[in-house]
Amino acid sequence: MWLVFKKELKELLRDRKSLFFMIALPVMLFPALFGVVAYFSGKAVTEAETKVLNYAVVGAQYAPELVDRLANNEQLSMVEISDSEDYKTFINRGDADFVLVIPESFSDDVLAGGQSVLQLYLNDAGLNLVYRRVNDVVDTLSKEYQQAAFTILSLDEKQAKGLMQPLKIEKNDVADQRENWGEKIGGFIPYLIFMLCLQGAMFPATDLGAGEKERGTLETLLISPIERINLVLGKFFLIAFAGVTSALITVSSMALWGVVLSQGMAIELVAEFMGAISAIDFVLMFLMLVPVVAIFASVLLSLSIYARSFKEAQGYMTPLVFVVIVPVILAMLPGVDLDGGWAWVPLTNVALAIKELIKGTMDYVALFAIFGSTAVIAGALLAFSVYWFNQEKVLFR
Amino acid sequence: MIEISHLAKRFAVENPKKLSEQERKDPRLKGRFFHSVVDVSFTCQKGQVLGLLGPNGAGKTTTLRMLSTALRPDKGQINISGTDVLAKPILARQKIGFLSGSTGLYGRLTGRENISYFAQLHGMSDKQIESRIDELAELLDLHSFLDRRCENFSTGMKQKTAIARAVVHNPDVVILDEPTTGLDIMATQTVLEFIKLLKRENTPVIFSTHHLDEVAELCDSVTVINHGESCFNGSLDEFSTLSDGSLHQSFLHTLQ
Repeated sequence: MWLVFKKELKELLRDRKSLFFMIALPVMLFPALFGVVAYFSGKAVTEAETKVLNYAVVGAQYAPELVDRLANNEQLSMVEISDSEDYKTFINRGDADFVLVIPESFSDDVLAGGQSVLQLYLNDAGLNLVYRRVNDVVDTLSKEYQQAAFTILSLDEKQAKGLMQPLKIEKNDVADQRENWGEKIGGFIPYLIFMLCLQGAMFPATDLGAGEKERGTLETLLISPIERINLVLGKFFLIAFAGVTSALITVSSMALWGVVLSQGMAIELVAEFMGAISAIDFVLMFLMLVPVVAIFASVLLSLSIYARSFKEAQGYMTPLVFVVIVPVILAMLPGVDLDGGWAWVPLTNVALAIKELIKGTMDYVALFAIFGSTAVIAGALLAFSVYWFNQEKVLFR
Repeated sequence: MIEISHLAKRFAVENPKKLSEQERKDPRLKGRFFHSVVDVSFTCQKGQVLGLLGPNGAGKTTTLRMLSTALRPDKGQINISGTDVLAKPILARQKIGFLSGSTGLYGRLTGRENISYFAQLHGMSDKQIESRIDELAELLDLHSFLDRRCENFSTGMKQKTAIARAVVHNPDVVILDEPTTGLDIMATQTVLEFIKLLKRENTPVIFSTHHLDEVAELCDSVTVINHGESCFNGSLDEFSTLSDGSLHQSFLHTLQ
């Protein structure tokens, strides 16, 4: 069995294409892509923040103070607008980025005039920070008016605060940091790992089954004096090994690049979060993955050996991705937890268990049941693989 | 000695609509089953070369696959130098060397690694493998490319490597399924030379072919299979006397 494993591993390591998909892609390309996206979106935001906006004011005479403030802002530049102009065409033509309409009833005395409503016309499609930037200016003025009113009413600070918000709720979260974050990202992690395992196992699986058929090496292998079960196990272990390795490489590369890219920004939080998860929980998570990977490897091997060619094998495997995605996505939905019948749904239960382990709220007894049932499924599928490898109609199609 | 008696093999037809016109007319199609091999018997003595002839689809490949333990016959007996192949397939496999025209190699392994992988599967020790590969490299002239990756080999190099791989364990019998089909003249010559070599070494060879000149050059005895039944068994001389020495005519004669 290890003979087959060793030979398949040697072949895999010599294949540049599969190595590229398994190692180079996750280690270099994904972070590079994320980096490019982050760079350009960051650049777009900075641009929106610093770009000089052209604006026009209608009814400027009603609020000279506000108009002054806008004019004093270096990143705003006023343009003229005629009375008859339609705001929409004016903005869409590119003559101005926004038009601010001040009502005749505008008053700087809140107690006399009440609330004044300003109309802001802008094209809000696409990334722009027009509202925020205008609001910054208006808000400062609004606070000053408020303060002036409080002074006239001779309210102290306490009363002013109460007047602004008579009742306030202060949130006290009893969930610790770990549970909180675990709930938020705990569903995503098994999804990512499952998919990576499946993807990583797919290429070698195609090569080991359909590839042997296509190259004409299968027949010779079948008539060599090795028990069929050892042949299947050798191939099975390599596929599982490739899946786990590729998933681990990707996850560690993401973690590493995450640290590098965020440069200590949220690192403390992440470190604290990771530190809260005990080593035993990590080991348990890994153990839970074992039967899952075994399921993937045996299904992939069975599909691959059934296929006549590489192409056919890939055709069978693509739908498998969707079959796997559904139960894992279910685990990400709110309200889906191990208390209900979900503990009996294959893959979903493992994903949920991993989530609970990350949150630190796992009921360890349930873990045995989930591990056991998944292992039974994996064993049955592996047995099927062996049976499948003994079927003439599969091998000589 | 290899003894095959009354072999039969049928395959379930999964979709009768997909069968070709010719297959549908074939008398071997009975209901949901296609009886590919109905009744095939022949024997091959030590040191003999037996040529297996027959039209396309006659059941030659199926017969040889049963002989090589890749397929399990529904009926009949196969005996290779005293070993019942059906009862002890793993033991029998150690006595068989098998090669076909479409046999491939693992492209990402070197010639040497390809050969030694199968030697290891046959349970040979590293030392045995090394000396055997040296021996075969001398015999088949593999030295110049033995340690290069197979993916860049010419067909001739590939076929030589495949031959070495097929006989690395010193088999009691060598089975070749259309070994020259699809090969160029040089590679074909390599295969034919190799069969002669086996004959000199007294190893029985059973090979199927469409080339009657190969039969004339190499074979001691001939078996013709038609519609899944062996319709001629005899020596090459007996075969050629069927029609005044022309093998083509003899062949057509046996099919009638």
